[in-house]
Amino acid sequence: MIFIAILVGCILGAIVGINVPIIPYTYSSYLAIAIIAALDSVFGGITGVLKREFDIKVFISGFFCNSILSILLTYLGNKLDVDIYLAAIVVFVGRMFINLTIIRKYYIDKWSEKLKNLRLKDK
Amino acid sequence: MEKKGKVIMIITIGIMCFLLVMIIFMQFKVVQESEETNIDTLQATELRQELANWKTKYEETKEKYDKTVETLKSYREESSAESKTKQTLEDELQSLERALGKTNVEGEGVIITLSEKKQSELIEDEEIVAINAEDLIYIVNYLKDSGAEAISINGERIINSTYIVDVEDTIKINSRYLRTEKYEIKAIGNSTYLESSIFGKGGYSETLNSSGIKAEIQKSNKVQISKYNGDYEVNYMEEAK
Repeated sequence: MIFIAILVGCILGAIVGINVPIIPYTYSSYLAIAIIAALDSVFGGITGVLKREFDIKVFISGFFCNSILSILLTYLGNKLDVDIYLAAIVVFVGRMFINLTIIRKYYIDKWSEKLKNLRLKDK
Repeated sequence: MEKKGKVIMIITIGIMCFLLVMIIFMQFKVVQESEETNIDTLQATELRQELANWKTKYEETKEKYDKTVETLKSYREESSAESKTKQTLEDELQSLERALGKTNVEGEGVIITLSEKKQSELIEDEEIVAINAEDLIYIVNYLKDSGAEAISINGERIINSTYIVDVEDTIKINSRYLRTEKYEIKAIGNSTYLESSIFGKGGYSETLNSSGIKAEIQKSNKVQISKYNGDYEVNYMEEAK
């Protein structure tokens, strides 16, 4: 059920995104940082699911708050003439890698355990 | 209750996916569009660089421009001074040429016509004497005396080196030989004075009349006298030191 929701959401998003008028280039940096923040939240959510500590409220609030906050920070950085968005990207992408490592490790562990079980069964 | 919560969660995740993918695609589009290099898509640093370049160029050009303007100004000043000198010289040249009779002139004056009388016109003891150089010299002298500024005889301009002499049957003026029955003398000046100098009581016209020469005068406000066409030859004299 949840996969259908994800799939439908993605397809609809792609269609709408392609057909929406182009936003000015000035604002695209804000959009980019929002995307990074959202992706970070998504990977964080997946990790949370795997660790069995996933909370939908935390996930949703993280998804939106991180995006909006990163946009605000980028804006502030522009006003101060400091590239704050670089710091935000470092943090978000760093966390994404950590989360990806956790996810990878989880599945490797799971897979190797399965293999072990199979071998044990064979014996 | 639990099911309702699950549905909400699914819908929420669906919406989030929708938003995320939508924004990602929007960004794709923007990036794709902005790959074409134009001023809208340049990064701020690039723009700054570009601006600095243009500023430098502008300053250089302005400096050049200022210099050129300065040079132009000096040229203009020089040329205006030059043209002043030129103007003075030209004025002087013109007045000299006028004095030398090198220009066509016109103005108030008289036209005197001399012609020999026919036999039938003669009275008493008059007899025909051909018009000779002396007659013309007298007339020219009288005209000059009464303020003639320019004189010509049959189109031959009288200048300061002009001579009028008899050469056999002809009259030589400015190295040109004239032999006609009619002489037309044009003079520019005060027409009344000019007239009275020749045709006044006891004037030269009476002398001419008695020698069978008919003198007629015509006053005009627009007597035209053409320029002297010959050369000014100087072979022996030179400026004294």
